[in-house]
Formats: sequence, structure tokens, C-alpha cells
Amino acid sequence: MGKKLLFVVYQSPVGSIWVNEAFRTAFGMYGEDLEPAVLLMHEAVVAVSKSCRPECLGLLPVSMVKRYLARYGTPVYVVKEDLEKFKVRELDEEYKPTLVSEEDLPKLFHEYDRVIFM
Amino acid sequence: MRAVALVLVKYGVDNPAEKIKLQIASENDKVVLIQNGVYWAVLEDVTKLTRGKVYALKGDLEARGYCETDVRGVELIDYDGFIELVEQEEKFIG
Amino acid sequence: MKMAFQVMVQPYTYEDLDTVIHMAEAALKRGHEVTIFLFADSVLSVNKHVKPVKTDRNIPERMRELASKGVKIEICGICMDYRGLTQEMIVEGSRPSGLPELAKLLATCDRFVSLMG
Repeated sequence: MGKKLLFVVYQSPVGSIWVNEAFRTAFGMYGEDLEPAVLLMHEAVVAVSKSCRPECLGLLPVSMVKRYLARYGTPVYVVKEDLEKFKVRELDEEYKPTLVSEEDLPKLFHEYDRVIFM
Repeated sequence: MRAVALVLVKYGVDNPAEKIKLQIASENDKVVLIQNGVYWAVLEDVTKLTRGKVYALKGDLEARGYCETDVRGVELIDYDGFIELVEQEEKFIG
Repeated sequence: MKMAFQVMVQPYTYEDLDTVIHMAEAALKRGHEVTIFLFADSVLSVNKHVKPVKTDRNIPERMRELASKGVKIEICGICMDYRGLTQEMIVEGSRPSGLPELAKLLATCDRFVSLMG
């Protein structure tokens, strides 16, 4: 069975590149026998807000990843407590986010062979 | 039993991702503090923040002006010891 | 063992390249096969035109030395393009690479260590 990879981002999708890079890297893994997933925590959870638009500042949009998510079905996990902390009001369901609680993180992390923080 | 993981912590005590890494480590995991990650052992009782066995890079600790007596519950290692830990654990979190 | 180390942040500003150079040297001494994958700003560490002050370490030169000792140094090609780094500018022994190569590395190496961004 292929190795399971979890790309974790904690920095904001507006003002840092790591959300884009995590998704780009995850999508780049499908040429091999690998199972990538993405976990958004802390400031990075803002990426799945329906009103998050880095492109308003001329920055690289995050929304472009949705097309690839639809194609590959890459799991996207989002820490529930952080959604509340960062006051994300409406989720963009096109990311098909799976909400996970902080208390579920130890189990989630240990399900993966390589957990790569961006 | 869960497979054992090597957990790498390189940022200091204000970093939320590092805090999570310490929290999620299980008792069989090995946590290695490198670079500013050594502050977790200097400023806090790191053994209360994680269940994993904690190691710190001696060079990174000493370069910041601290010594063995400034940390508790932490095994100091050099790069050879670090790579030995990498050899032991296939899973990686960092 | 096949060991792969990934770096993401820039040299000199942060300690990561220094850390990974020490890791690679220790791993070589212990008989491992080592690949360093340079991602994002860390690609600047193999620019041979970098000129640090004389009292400081020359990181690109240290990377070239590692490559001459058998360490494979792979550089994310898109990250190079984004930073204006061309093939002519990189130290001997390093090579432009990409996500397909990173995927292959992740699928085949025995150990993977990443220094987060």
C-alpha cells in the first residue's frame, strides 16, 4: 500500500504562500503510489472561508485548487476549534472540508507515514 | 500499538504548530528539539507538554547560551545521535 | 538507508541550511545515501553567485562540497523560476528537479525529514 502523506499548514492563506504550496505539493504526489491529504489549522483555516480572497490584493488565489480537489478527491481536514477561533462564518463546501476536533489530532497524525508541516 | 514517530520541533514557544506537535506526540514517539525548538526545554517543563521522549540538539542549546543544567527531562544529542534517531523511526511528523 | 531531507526557508536568514548540512554530513558518516530537496526560498542556497562577508560561512560552497561527497541535491524547478535562479547559476552537483521527483523520493526513501517553513 502507498505511503500516506499529510501536509499541514498553520499560516494564513493571505500573506503567506504555504496553503498554496501545500495543495500544489499534495497534487504533485499522484504520479506515485502515495496518498496525500491536507490539514489546515490555526490561521490557515481561513482558506476555506467562503469570503477568503487573496486575489483582492493581487495575490495568488487559493480557489484555483478546487478544480484539482474535484479531480483527485484529496482529503482536506480543518480543525474545528480553529474555525471558531478565527471566526470563519461560512465554509466554502467546494473544498469538501472534513472538520476534525483538536482531540482527534493525535490519532489523525499517527495514521500518516509522513506528516509534513509547511 | 501505533507505530512510533520522530517528531521534529524547530520553532520556539510562541509557535502554535510546534505546540500541536508536542501535544499529539504519543508516549512511544521521540521528540527532537532543534534550533529555537530548544526554548521549549529551557522556558517550560517540556515533559508536561508532551508524552513523547524528548531530545534536544546540544549544539543548538549551547549556542544560545544554555547548558545541560538549564533543561530537565531532556536528553542532549549531537548530529550523530540525531541521525541515529532518524534511523530508528520510519514515521515522521515535523 | 536512503534518507531524504527537505528544506523550505532561505539560507542566512534562518538556520535551516546549516542544520541540514550538519544532518547530511552525519548521515554520510553513518553510511547513508542522502538527498536534499530544496523547496521554496531554500533554493537560494545553491546560487553560486552568493557572496557572504569573509567572516561568514559560504553556504552554496558547503552545498557544492556535500554534492561532491555524493549527496544528491534536488531543486524545485518552479521555485527556481519564481526566484530568478537559472541552471547556469546553481552550484556544481545540484540539479533542477520538481514535484514528480519529490513524489518519487517520498515513495522510495527509507527516511524523510522535513524542516518546516
